[in-house]
Amino acid sequence: MAAPARYCPSCLSATSTSSLLLRRAAPTSVPAPFLTASRIQPQRQGQLRTAVQSQNAAKYKRKDTPGTQKKKKASTNYDTPDLSKALRFSLVDAMRYLRAAEVGRSPTSSKYELHIRLKTPRSGAVVRNRLRLPHPIKTDLRICVIAAPDSAAATAARAAGASLVGDDAVIEAVKAGKIDFDRCLCHQDSLEKLQKSGVARILGPRGLMPSAKTGTVVKDVAASVGEMIGASEYRERLGVVRMAIGQLAFTPEMMQRNIKVFMDGVKRDIAGMSDRIAKDVHEVVLSSTNGPGLSLNGELRSAGGSLTLKDVGGEA
Amino acid sequence: MVSLPQRMRKLQEKLLSIRLGSGALLLPKEVTRINLQFAAKIDGGHMGPRKFWRNELVRLKYHNPAVSMSVDRTAKAEDPATMSIHFSSLESAEESAAAEKVIKIDMKHRNNSEILEELIKATKAREAEPTEEDREEKRVLEEQKVASLAASKLSQEVRARVKREKELLEQARGDMGSQPA
Repeated sequence: MAAPARYCPSCLSATSTSSLLLRRAAPTSVPAPFLTASRIQPQRQGQLRTAVQSQNAAKYKRKDTPGTQKKKKASTNYDTPDLSKALRFSLVDAMRYLRAAEVGRSPTSSKYELHIRLKTPRSGAVVRNRLRLPHPIKTDLRICVIAAPDSAAATAARAAGASLVGDDAVIEAVKAGKIDFDRCLCHQDSLEKLQKSGVARILGPRGLMPSAKTGTVVKDVAASVGEMIGASEYRERLGVVRMAIGQLAFTPEMMQRNIKVFMDGVKRDIAGMSDRIAKDVHEVVLSSTNGPGLSLNGELRSAGGSLTLKDVGGEA
Repeated sequence: MVSLPQRMRKLQEKLLSIRLGSGALLLPKEVTRINLQFAAKIDGGHMGPRKFWRNELVRLKYHNPAVSMSVDRTAKAEDPATMSIHFSSLESAEESAAAEKVIKIDMKHRNNSEILEELIKATKAREAEPTEEDREEKRVLEEQKVASLAASKLSQEVRARVKREKELLEQARGDMGSQPA
């Protein structure tokens, strides 16, 4: 009787008196029809308040401890729900929805995105790489190349699309606080000049300082510039690899090619990892900047679809 | 990550709202392009056009994927808000493609449903009827919504009760602790 006393003093008193009363009062054998509701009431209350568990309740009592009290073992993998119940779409259908969701948006700001959900352990190496899509998403990346202005490398870099090429002039501009580029490359021959100039203090914190470690000190400047302009980077975060995969004006065929290259790239990365890491593609979701995410079923068009490829493509 | 059924239900709702609702129209083949022009802010009667873009135009685009639709929001509040509907003259073959008919609709100080009515009048577009599956899907979703509302109410009550009991227990313990031994 000590346990209920801890709960609430008023409750306890009510319990003990009622049960006492009940014990004293012999059960009256009144025929059922004569029992009024008011007379049943106290008896019922007394039954409810007895500490003895009813047989029925004892029968259904959980034998093991409830799940919340058990020590939950965190799963080592990211969730991979069964996709058989998921809505999945062909590429053309998904694009139709996304184009509708993006109607009237500026074609330069809205992009298609692809999310590849992996079956992967929570810890360990992640997929991370860069690749060139067959149809690049146009980026206006401004690249600075530090090389002697009249060298062959400089002209090649300019031809490849670098926005700023030079050595002393560029270094002076940087020192003056004028940094109007997003990436910085350096030709091998100009590295010494760059290091002596002391711009590392300005470029370093911004992550722009060329160094051999990040692969931004190169011999073939033109090739790296070209690679940088067309390339997109991707990496796995929380078990998902995401990347912008196309402009809104792309046709389904263009998207298909881009998606294929991206998927192949990710699969190659997975294959290139050590054997102990078991990763697999679980789900592929196509989305857009402002649109919903639609799980793809891997087909270009749906079986009963009347949509022609021309319908969903071209300018918005 | 959110559970799959939850995610799918939300997605279904979103897609359904892209497919069905006001503005789910099939435009005639002559319509090639629709361009809206209005201000970026709603002052001066530019709210209706924006609502039209956000609601009706989305459905219009879904049902007419081949028609190009653009929105230009560079106008100022004093400027007119217009919708231009471009028609290619299919019937008259002698006219060249350059002879494009353009109908302009003034959208200023009008709400989205009025704008839609004007559009229907100008293009003679017909309604895109929801299919049987669409109706069924909508019905199921609504049912689920009602059920989830009831469930959430129930669990709210349970949580409130558990919380109260816990507080009571806490209070009782406090009383015991404060009593002299």
